[in-house]
Amino acid sequence: MTGGDVARTGLVVLLFLLVQQTIALNIVVAGAHPDVLLLLPIVTGLGAGPARGAAMGFAAGIVADLFVPAPFGLSALVGTLVGFAVGSLVNYSSRSPWWVVPGVALTASAAAVMLYAVLGAVLGEEQFLRADLAAIVLVVGVANALLSLPALRLVIWSFGVNRERGTLAAVGRR
Amino acid sequence: MVVVLVLVSIAIITIDERGGSRVSSDLRNAASRVFAPIRKGVDDVLRPIGNFFAGAVNYGSVAQENAKLQATLGRLRQQQAEQAYEQRQLRQMAALLHLSYLGSLQTVTAQTVTVNVSNFVASIGIDKGTADGVALGMPVVGAGGLVGQVVQAFRHSATVRLLTDGRSKVGVSFGRHATQAVVNGEGSGDPLAVDFVPPGTPMRKGQVLFTNGLAGAEYPNGIPVAFVTSYDTVPGASQMTVVAQPMANLHQLTYVDVVLWEPAP
Repeated sequence: MTGGDVARTGLVVLLFLLVQQTIALNIVVAGAHPDVLLLLPIVTGLGAGPARGAAMGFAAGIVADLFVPAPFGLSALVGTLVGFAVGSLVNYSSRSPWWVVPGVALTASAAAVMLYAVLGAVLGEEQFLRADLAAIVLVVGVANALLSLPALRLVIWSFGVNRERGTLAAVGRR
Repeated sequence: MVVVLVLVSIAIITIDERGGSRVSSDLRNAASRVFAPIRKGVDDVLRPIGNFFAGAVNYGSVAQENAKLQATLGRLRQQQAEQAYEQRQLRQMAALLHLSYLGSLQTVTAQTVTVNVSNFVASIGIDKGTADGVALGMPVVGAGGLVGQVVQAFRHSATVRLLTDGRSKVGVSFGRHATQAVVNGEGSGDPLAVDFVPPGTPMRKGQVLFTNGLAGAEYPNGIPVAFVTSYDTVPGASQMTVVAQPMANLHQLTYVDVVLWEPAP
């Protein structure tokens, strides 16, 4: 990664943080709001592979942890695991059907929310499992699915991908 | 690399959980200070757009006026409830109980800047912090009663855990015999559960529960907490099943008061 890549990636994380803190928090459906920072490791894992997905998950998670009164590092751990898992399990390329990206975003977001609740409970936050998980999974999953395609474009841009060189997955492994 | 990141995450969690929260607190404080003006700037830009799409020409000013009226109404409800509590306690020889009243305690009025930043924690962020006298554990009241407790205090901001959060527990008393109980949060939007009410305790719908202020309590005495919405006694059960709603309107928290009272260490 060049310095420009790092700067662009930082800008994308900052943009997502702004969207989360100013817009997403105000969109409340059934008591839950979207979590767009969770989308970053998912689309990065899809577009740039497991290592970058994990790194983006860690970075976005640490940023999210700064603003949430919950165990510090929990979002980073979940983001790392989700970014790595998506990058490892999904063989995405630019030739994949369009619905793969929103489909993965929906599924991975749901899994991440459940993982966050379970790990939180393990760390003594038992009330995480008493939250309305169905509503949270639905709202976070649907919102991330809707935003996944433009988010993937941003990640492609942030990693300085030259699309003429081949598929995103190939770029992720270079 | 992935293994390293996972291990680093676990190390951070462990340090935070084992009392190294000073580091995370400092980081959160810095993030709060850096991000607050950015958030306010973006809010200032986006709010008028949102108001425009709401379709009312003067929606912004009406919403602001409504928020102020709600706050005033809440204070009046709180005063009314406090007066009722005062009269009840006086009838029960309050002089012997050494009551402390909210009226004699200093407060700091704060504006709510964020609501429920996490889907898993019922909380609000306020624009007053340690520089204004706010400290960890201080009760927060508004819009009719107890709102919650300060769980993070930074220099110019703080986080308040709401009464409805799953970790919230408040010792309360009610009724002619000052029955003791505990009000538990059950999650954002859900009613409160009242535990440890002995079977057969006289009770009525609308009964107001007040903080009990017992030795070592996390709240001063006499703050209205919740009102009973339903109660039942299951035969053979060791306690009644009591459900309550917060006295404070937790959906109208534009302004709140932080009570400058710290729990005993």
